[in-house]
Amino acid sequence: MERSADYKASGGKLVRIRLTEEAGQIRSVRITGDFFLIPEESIGKLEKMLEDTPLQEQEIRLLVDRFYRATQAQGAGVTPDDFVKALLATRGV
Amino acid sequence: MNLAVEEAIPRMVGEGKAPSTVRFWHNSNTIVIGCFQSAKLEVNMDACKETGTEIVRRFTGGGAVYHDSGNLNYAISLRKGHRLVPDQNLQSVFQRLSEGAVEGLRKLGVKAEFQPVNDIQVDGKKVSGAAGSIRWNSVFHHGCILVNSDLRILGKVLNVPRAKLEDRHVASVQKRVTTVRDELGRDITTREVRDAIVSGIESCYGVRVESGVLMKEEVGLAEELYQTKYSRLEWNLEP
Repeated sequence: MERSADYKASGGKLVRIRLTEEAGQIRSVRITGDFFLIPEESIGKLEKMLEDTPLQEQEIRLLVDRFYRATQAQGAGVTPDDFVKALLATRGV
Repeated sequence: MNLAVEEAIPRMVGEGKAPSTVRFWHNSNTIVIGCFQSAKLEVNMDACKETGTEIVRRFTGGGAVYHDSGNLNYAISLRKGHRLVPDQNLQSVFQRLSEGAVEGLRKLGVKAEFQPVNDIQVDGKKVSGAAGSIRWNSVFHHGCILVNSDLRILGKVLNVPRAKLEDRHVASVQKRVTTVRDELGRDITTREVRDAIVSGIESCYGVRVESGVLMKEEVGLAEELYQTKYSRLEWNLEP
């Protein structure tokens, strides 16, 4: 099932999620938008890490936190919580 | 080629092969999208074809901007650890390295203010956006100042999502941006604005800006980056 959300981050930037979900799990995801994240290549790592993750808050929050710790990524206009909320917004609830 | 030069300079500065650099440049009709953006979602492709507008992706994040000959782009490349940006925080870099442009615009009589995350505004309207990165052992910041740009084309070629406009209580991108010309109420050239920004940078940061040309190595690297990256559809239009 294709799911999407355009989420306005607390810092004013837009996080756009386009994902494919199967049996409650993320199969593939593309995260785009006008935010800042360095190193820039790390967004691909986050997308990869999200594959096969249940589309549930607890699992996604753990994974996003692990991503930030592993990559030492730094954002501007977007926080880890914004990525979590943007992904959950694809559920439409 | 301009975006390739934009990447070549901080790489060379980071390697210690080029000095701290401020670059000024402009493009003819081009949309420059941020590195995380989807061209398909952000750009009105039909309007681009109609108006002869090209689409290019830059290596920094942030939002899409429309470039024409009425824009003035500036880019600051510093080696990591430079006294102006000691703390390696991207938000602080945006603020600190926008201050020179803000000062320059004020010298012209524009009531410019830095607005986080990355804008320079006049009475709530954006007159310049900025983007940047910390990589290749360098700190890089670039901005796009609307001097006398054609805002009608800008409104056509960019798809600004409703969510972006709603919090600013305006109905279109055209109404939330302004130009230096409109703020001053007179015609002004990009050259005049460039000179003011140079003056702003010098007084704000206590530096002296000397004019120069790209080094051979910078040109060579830019040509390589153009061939391998910035001229390619897979970089510019995907995802």
